[in-house]
Amino acid sequence: MSGGPRGAALDPDPVTEVYKRDVDRTLLRENLRLTPPQRIEKVMSFMRSIEQLREAARRKR
Amino acid sequence: MIGVAANIHGALRTTLDIDVVYGRSPANIERLAAALGPYQPYLRGAPLGLPFTFDPATIERGLNFALTTTLGDIDLLGEVAGGGPFDQLLPYAESVELESRRCLVVSLEKLIALKRAAGPAKDREALAELEALLEERERGS
Repeated sequence: MSGGPRGAALDPDPVTEVYKRDVDRTLLRENLRLTPPQRIEKVMSFMRSIEQLREAARRKR
Repeated sequence: MIGVAANIHGALRTTLDIDVVYGRSPANIERLAAALGPYQPYLRGAPLGLPFTFDPATIERGLNFALTTTLGDIDLLGEVAGGGPFDQLLPYAESVELESRRCLVVSLEKLIALKRAAGPAKDREALAELEALLEERERGS
């Protein structure tokens, strides 16, 4: 990706810092190894799987 | 913009709509109306049967539109809270190639700033993920 100007340095917000402790960084690191199109494909694949599960649940009712 | 752009940068949270910031020049408004028109855009959440026509005059009269389309839900933003109109966001855009097309996506740093401007209490978890993502990226993960 080409870059734009970087934003001003972000001052940490103490509440957000607490929330950051619960972020699963292994998933983020894994995603950062992918290209942007691969990341989008991964999201779309996940959404397709969810839709298939919903459809299966609908059929079962 | 927030959700899909965040995914492009590596965030994991999924979103069911896409936010698009559009330029308000008459020529671009014409292009926008022509591009989305075939996908039956309609005001999201509005009662059916309103005399809504997605044409250049409608776009010029409005600014931000929350739409349903046959492609999915799209938020068209003439202006973003804390970010301004398209021209002001352009310096913070990064070029990404998706489906053989060049797309402009707001930078991760700017996304965080926009999220903060929208009020961090609104979605702390998403903001925390974006900030953690930026840290991981800067560490070179």
